[in-house]
Amino acid sequence: MQERVKLSDARINRDLLRSIFETPKWYLILVGSLGLVVLTGFAAAGYMINHGLGVTGLNRPVMWGFFITNFVFWIGISHAGVMLSAILRLVQAEWRRPATRAAEVLTVFSLMTAMMMPLIHAGRPWRVFYWVFPYDFARGVYPNVRSALVWDPAAVFTYLTSSILFVYIALVPDIAVLRDRSTGWRHVLYSILSLGWRGSVRQWKLQLIAGILLSAVILPIFVSVHSIVSWDFGSAMAVEGWHSTVFAPYFVIGAVHSGVSAVVTVMIILRWMFRWEDYIRLEHLDALAKLLIVVATTWFFFFILEFIFGLYSLEGPEVALREMQVFEMPWAGLFITFLFTGYLIPVPMWMFRKVRRSIGLMLFTTILVNIGMWLERFLIIVPGLARKQGFTFTWGGYTPSAVEITIIGSTFAMVSMLVLLFAKVFPLIPIGDAKEGMILQDEIRIGKVTVPAVMREE
Amino acid sequence: MHELHHPAPASYLGMTAQEITQDVLQRHESPGRQFWTVAAVLGGLFGLGIIGFILLLSKGFDDRNVWGYYASIFAYIFTVAQSAILVSVALRMVKAHWRRPFARISELFAAVGLFNFFLLIPLLWVLPSTEGRRSIWFEWPGHSPHIWDTIALGLLVVLGLALLYFAAIPDMAAVRDHTTGARQRRYQRMAMGWQGTPHQWKVLQVGISVLGGFYFMFLIFTHMMISVDYAMSLVPGWKDAIFPAFHAIIGFQSAVAIMLVTMFILRWKTGLRRYLEVDQFWGLGKLLLALCLLWFYFWWSGFFTYWYGRQPAEQSVLKFLMFETYKVPFFLAFALCFVTPFVILMWNIVRKTTWGPVLAAIIVLVGTFFNIVRFYVPAFSIEDSTLHALENVPPANIPGVADILVIVGALAGAVLAYMLATRIFPITSIWEMKEGLLLQRVRTFMKIQIKVLAKPE
Repeated sequence: MQERVKLSDARINRDLLRSIFETPKWYLILVGSLGLVVLTGFAAAGYMINHGLGVTGLNRPVMWGFFITNFVFWIGISHAGVMLSAILRLVQAEWRRPATRAAEVLTVFSLMTAMMMPLIHAGRPWRVFYWVFPYDFARGVYPNVRSALVWDPAAVFTYLTSSILFVYIALVPDIAVLRDRSTGWRHVLYSILSLGWRGSVRQWKLQLIAGILLSAVILPIFVSVHSIVSWDFGSAMAVEGWHSTVFAPYFVIGAVHSGVSAVVTVMIILRWMFRWEDYIRLEHLDALAKLLIVVATTWFFFFILEFIFGLYSLEGPEVALREMQVFEMPWAGLFITFLFTGYLIPVPMWMFRKVRRSIGLMLFTTILVNIGMWLERFLIIVPGLARKQGFTFTWGGYTPSAVEITIIGSTFAMVSMLVLLFAKVFPLIPIGDAKEGMILQDEIRIGKVTVPAVMREE
Repeated sequence: MHELHHPAPASYLGMTAQEITQDVLQRHESPGRQFWTVAAVLGGLFGLGIIGFILLLSKGFDDRNVWGYYASIFAYIFTVAQSAILVSVALRMVKAHWRRPFARISELFAAVGLFNFFLLIPLLWVLPSTEGRRSIWFEWPGHSPHIWDTIALGLLVVLGLALLYFAAIPDMAAVRDHTTGARQRRYQRMAMGWQGTPHQWKVLQVGISVLGGFYFMFLIFTHMMISVDYAMSLVPGWKDAIFPAFHAIIGFQSAVAIMLVTMFILRWKTGLRRYLEVDQFWGLGKLLLALCLLWFYFWWSGFFTYWYGRQPAEQSVLKFLMFETYKVPFFLAFALCFVTPFVILMWNIVRKTTWGPVLAAIIVLVGTFFNIVRFYVPAFSIEDSTLHALENVPPANIPGVADILVIVGALAGAVLAYMLATRIFPITSIWEMKEGLLLQRVRTFMKIQIKVLAKPE
């Protein structure tokens, strides 16, 4: 940890609370612009609901397109929170500290966005109430509990609830800091939210135990969420390329790959926006890039398994599907883009220390990953559906309409806007964690060299 | 700050570098009479294994069913021992200081890998050509698995031995500098002119990282080839994309388990108490718990997709491998690889002992044996692998005397190979322990003693 600096508690408070107590012009312009894009998205969704799904590119046999791809994509991004926060907390990785809050917040907002996608996709979102309050059993208008499509909302809402709790528990000491530095309605709000936090030994102990327990409890939920999303596809027998036993871990590790990349992107942007160079340091990007090499390579191994065992049985329809994905345009173009952006460009680049410690290149590579991972979901979902039917005259294609593109684009604006709004109310780097990191950092002198060290158990 | 609830700092931190060198070298020079007695007994058991092997040979290679248990013990040793090297590789990658006392114990399993390579040779005659049947070799020549599996396993063995040798060079130089006569001349050659210059240290560090990285990737690759060629592709209708990854997870789990058991025996028999402490068992115990959960997750992902799909070909495979023909080894594997170790290791109070993780590890190793048996014995019992799906499920293959002799002999041979390797390389990595002394300090923090760990670039 060569770049670390010793910061006083007062300096940490000042730096990390800057985003809350100061409102620069660019912030208002940025949030306003993002808000406009979000409004456009809502308008497009309203238009679609009014005119029906006919305004989208969805048609038989491809009835799952951009919306479901985007649903899987945002569920994937949500996996960053637990990966970085819960797992790195449990293994006590010291470099997790500046990344955890951003990752947790990204989890919450991307889950909310993800859940909007099936609602929009349904065309008539109010019908979701049939799932909650099935009104007419006689006509069979009730959810089939044996379907993975029903387990999905259960898993996602459990994950959302536990993620919100996770963010909140970690936030309590920071909210107390805000309470002590605010006045008026903000003071009242923070007083209520800080739950009487005084920073006593007992309170810290309880907060710590709650954090560890939640970390341990949230892990199986985290795994179950994307596994169940994968079974939306894996349990469908009629679509070539979907019925694969490796889908669950393949989806989970792919989600971690895209999620951690998204956190790096967000961290770099936050560092630049709020001048947090002393907190989000190059060593953190370096460590995250190393983690990404491992995650990406594991994901790539699962991709190879999925692909090879698709061909393994040498059954005609499956081979034809793979040939279409790899050799026929436009799928071939998308497939090559996915391979290069998802793995072949970023991972070799991350092998070099200079790249891992370059703000610009890390931003570039992590954005590439998410382009690739979005395409990966698209290529899993759409080509299989296009060749779903047995007869060639029932095959079809898919071209997204402007309405779909607008809605999808607005989801990216929405998550960005929500993160920025969160930053206006709560600190995006945990203050307590940053201070604890300062206390635990140490140095060891070996001969003429001073090596950075940390107090901790292993 | 739960970091502060820390067990007493490792006692080897109270030793000097010289004391560590003396202690390890003394242990290395004189293993004691008990060592040779155990080696002789293992040699005897290995002899019984050779008798069993001759009995199998007398039945020829035409009936694959005869070789089912032989294939299982080969796969078991591959899964357990050749994955064990990964424990030091992975923990070195994440710069975990607590690995230092057992890094060499893990790398010494390369010797078992060499022994296991010889066990593969007869199986090359038993494995059928891939012509007319499903395989990952598709349109390649029918004997591709024979050639490529041999090359893959051979390279893995070479990588493992290279890692063991490379990481031991400074220690061999230490032996050279503390001994005389023929032994000194031997270690002088083996130390390859090691003087401990900064350049040599840099080459050593880079070499270990590169060899470790390659070993890691190659091990996963070999798991895929062995598991598919010697199990899955022999069973018609078994098309399971997660199986190679599940096989690798079984390898990681049993690797941690064999490390725990080996460490316990060495601690108990060779007096390594100052090095192998609760910290090491606790750390590996946590890993074992995580791997038990991963075992279940990977098994469930494969099982669920098949079970839910209701495809006749897949249902037959489930019945064959899990719920009818080989249900006994399957349920034993499920209970011993997941349920029991999970129940034991979920308690921190048990994990934080030397006996708790070891108890779970022994159970896991037994469970892994049954798990491997339920893959390879059924696969070798299929007469015609060219079918599209399982039509007639063959009855369970119960082991005979020759099978039991081969299993006992192979296990004894593996342990013997490990023991003999400890005569060449010191069981404790002296230079890593000394490095640990430099990079760790015990300091007082708010009235308690706590470890301070340096993490250099």
